[in-house]
Amino acid sequence: MPDATAGSHSYTVLVADDNEVAQRLCRRVLEKAGHRVLTASDGQEAVNLALQDSPDIILMDVAMPGMDGLEAMRQIRAQKPGMTVVIASAHSMASDRDRFLAAGADDVLSKPFKLTELTGVVDRLGGRSSSAQA
Amino acid sequence: MIVALYGVAAVALGLAWPGGLTAWVAAALLVALGGVVGLVYLLSRGAGAATEEANLKAAEHERREALLRLEVEGTGVGLGLVDESGRWVQVNESLTTILGRPAAELRGTSLPEVERAVGELQAGTRTSWHGETSALALTVSATPVNGSGVLYLVEASDVSAAKRAEALRDVLAAVRHTIATSATWDQAGPAILAALGSTLGWDAAQFWMLDDQNVFRLRHAWHRDSERLFEFERDCQATGIPAAEGVFGRARKSGVPAIDRSITPQGNPALVVAARKAALNAVVAVPAAGGGDVRCVLALFSAQPEEQREDAMNMLATMGSEIGQFVQRAETTAALQRSEADHRAIFERAPMGIARISAEGSLVEANAALLAMLEHDFATLRDQAWPDLLRSYDQAAGRARVAPLLAGISAGDSVQVRAATGDGRWLWLQMTATSIPDELGRPEHVLVMVEDVTKVRDAQDRATEALEAQRTANADLEKLDRTKTEFLSIVSHEFRTALTGIQGFSELIRDGGLEPDELRAYGGYIFNDAERVNRLIGDMLDLDRMESGRMIFRMADVDVNEVLSDAIARAAASSNVEFKPDLDPRLPIVTGDRDRLVQVVSNLVNNAVKYSPEGGTVTLTSRSEGGYALITVADTGLGIPPDEIPHVFERFRRVRSGAAQSIAGTGLGLTIVKQIVEMHGGKIWVESAVGHGSAFHFTIPLAVETVTPAMQLRHA
Repeated sequence: MPDATAGSHSYTVLVADDNEVAQRLCRRVLEKAGHRVLTASDGQEAVNLALQDSPDIILMDVAMPGMDGLEAMRQIRAQKPGMTVVIASAHSMASDRDRFLAAGADDVLSKPFKLTELTGVVDRLGGRSSSAQA
Repeated sequence: MIVALYGVAAVALGLAWPGGLTAWVAAALLVALGGVVGLVYLLSRGAGAATEEANLKAAEHERREALLRLEVEGTGVGLGLVDESGRWVQVNESLTTILGRPAAELRGTSLPEVERAVGELQAGTRTSWHGETSALALTVSATPVNGSGVLYLVEASDVSAAKRAEALRDVLAAVRHTIATSATWDQAGPAILAALGSTLGWDAAQFWMLDDQNVFRLRHAWHRDSERLFEFERDCQATGIPAAEGVFGRARKSGVPAIDRSITPQGNPALVVAARKAALNAVVAVPAAGGGDVRCVLALFSAQPEEQREDAMNMLATMGSEIGQFVQRAETTAALQRSEADHRAIFERAPMGIARISAEGSLVEANAALLAMLEHDFATLRDQAWPDLLRSYDQAAGRARVAPLLAGISAGDSVQVRAATGDGRWLWLQMTATSIPDELGRPEHVLVMVEDVTKVRDAQDRATEALEAQRTANADLEKLDRTKTEFLSIVSHEFRTALTGIQGFSELIRDGGLEPDELRAYGGYIFNDAERVNRLIGDMLDLDRMESGRMIFRMADVDVNEVLSDAIARAAASSNVEFKPDLDPRLPIVTGDRDRLVQVVSNLVNNAVKYSPEGGTVTLTSRSEGGYALITVADTGLGIPPDEIPHVFERFRRVRSGAAQSIAGTGLGLTIVKQIVEMHGGKIWVESAVGHGSAFHFTIPLAVETVTPAMQLRHA
C-alpha cells in the first residue's frame, strides 16, 4: 500500500531475490517510500511477473536457483526491450559490475546497500520506462 | 775425334799453303816434315862445320826455315818435337798457348802421356800414337832425323771445350737419372749437387729454398773437401737470403741463371761475408722453377772468377728447370701423401665412429672408435650388428621423414636410433649418412658418422620430464589460484548476502519510528543473519583446518546408534517431521571423534528436516557392512535434481529449487560432512529423486573390538 510519506512518484517495483530477508527489507523500505512492491524468488517467477504486471522497475538478484537474474533479464528484454532492470547483487567486485552493465543492466546496486541507495535508484530510474510501456 | 782433330790441323796447314786444300793435304804433311828437317838442321847448326857451300846451303835453309816457321807458327795446331826420353826439344807458339807455358820453360820438360807414347813407339809396334788428357788430344809420330837419331813429332790440340760439353751432357744425364730414381728432393738433392760440383769443377754446390717468410734457406749443400768450405756451408746454414736480394734475387726475377763473377757486398751481405771468408769469388745462381714462381735456387761457387761458357749456362738453365719441376712434383706428391695420411689418421683416430658402407649396404670399413663404441669386433659388427643398425636407421629415418640410409644422397641428415652394444648396453646413437659418389656421380659408398648421444639424450629426457613436471605444477598452481579466486568470490557473496539484511534492518532501526512488533521482527532477522555469518566463518575455518590437515581428531570408541538417537531426540523437539529410527542393535562400535560424528549426523538430519515438507518422514538407519558401519539419513522431501547430485558436496552448492529457497545454510555443511567422513576412512554418497526425497549414506570403519553387551541392550 502506498504510504502517506511517499515521494512525488509512486512506481511499481519488482524485487526478484531468493533471499527472504532481502525481499522483506526491500518491500518494507520501498513501500514506506510510496512504491508498490512485487516479489519473485527465482528467475522464472521474475520473468512471469515482469511480463504480466509490467512493473516500472525491476530490482534483480543474480544468484537465484534455476534461472539466474541475468537470464531472466535477457528474457524480459526480449519481450519488453524498454523494461528498466537494475541488477542488485552481492557479487560486488568491480569486474562483476562491468559484467552486469555489459549484459544490459540499467544500473547496478551492490549488496549490502544503504537504504537511500535503494530508494534513490528507484526514484531515479522508476520513471524511465513508464512512458515506453504506456 | 782424334782423327778429326788431326784432319782439322792438316786442313789448317793446307789452307795456309799456296795451292789449295784437298790436293795438298799430303804435300802439307811432307812440308811439315821438311820443316822438321830444317828445324833439326837449325838445332844442330851451332855445333856443325862451316863451308862456303854450307853457307849457301845454310842461307837457302834459313830462307826456307823462315818461310816454314811462318807457316808452322801460323797454324792453331800445337806442334812440338820430343827426344827419345819424351822431353820437349822444340815447340811452336800454338803449343805454348795450349800448354800455358813459354817455350823456354817447356824445353827439357815432358808430358807423362808423351813419355808413354814415345816408349810405346820405341818398342816398335806402331809408328804413331794417339791419346788424350783431360784437355789435350795428342798424336805422337816417330820422325827419323839424320845424325840426330829419332825425334818424335807431337801434335797437340785443346779439346777442353769438347770435354766440357761432354761433361755437361754427362752431368745432365746423371741429374736426370737421379731425378728419375728418387721419390723426394731430399733424396735426390745431395747426389745431384755432388755430381754437379765435382764433375763441373765447382768448389761448392748448394740448393736453396724459399721458406714461409719468403727467405731463401739452405736445403742441401755439397763442397769440395776443405775446411774453409765446410765453414762456408755452416755459415750458409746460419743465414737466410731475402727472396729479392742479390744474385738469387736476379735469378729469381729473370728466370735464367745469374752470375756474380766477383761476389761483391752489393749482393747479400751475409752470403758475401761467408764467401769471402771461404775465398770464393764467383757464384752462379740457377733458378729452379717448377712452373710459375721460382722457389728454389741452385748456387754454384768457385774460387776462380771464371768466364762462364754459354753451353754450361744453357745446361744449367735446363737442369734448373728440370730440378724445379721435380721439386714441385715431389712436393705435390708429399702433400698428397700427407693429406692422405691425415685423412687416414682422422678416420682411424676420430673420437666419432665412422663406417664406410657399400652401395648395397654392407659394412666395408669401420674405425676403432665405432668398434669400441659398439663393443664388437669388425666381423661381428659387419655380419650381425650392422644389418640391425641399418634397419633401425631406416625406421627412424622413416619417422623423421629422412631418406633411407642407402638412398641418403643429400648429406647431413641425422637420425637417432637405439642400439645394443656387444656387451648388451643400450645406447642412443646419432647417425649421419653422407653418400660418396664415384666419378660419374653414382653412389659408390656411404659414409656414416656414428655418435654416442646416450648421455645427451638421457639428459634431454630428464630435462623434458622436469619440464613436464614443472608444467603440471604450474597448471596445478594456476588451477589452485583460480579455485582460490572463485572461492573468495563465492565467500564474499555469501557474506554480503547475509550482511544485506543485517545492514538494511539495523539502518531502519537506527532511523527510528518503528512499531515494537517491527522492531522485534527486524531484530530477529538481524540476529539470524548474524548467526549465519558466524556459522559461515566457523564452517570455513573448520574446512580450512581439515583440508590443511590441521584439524585434530580425538579418536575414541563411538557408539553410532547412540549418536543417531541423540540427534533424533534434539531435532524432533523443534520440527514438524516424523523420525523413524531403524538402528541395528548388533552394530559394533566404531573408532572416531564423537563430536565430529555428531556434527555429521546433525548436519544431515537438519538438512533432511529443512528439505522435508511438514509431516514428512526422516528415517535414520544403521547397519554393519563389510567392516564398516553404514548410516543412512533419508527424507521424503524435495529431492535433488539429477544434474545437481554430482555437486551436492561442493562448497556453496545449495539446492535452492522450489521451496528450498528460504532455507538458510552456509553452503559448506555437506562439504564439511564429506571431509569428516573421509578423514575417518569412510565414504559418503547420496541417492535422490525429485519429489520423492533424498537418502544420504555414509560409512565409518568399525573398531577392532567387538560390541559391548550394554550397547546391545540399550538398542534392543
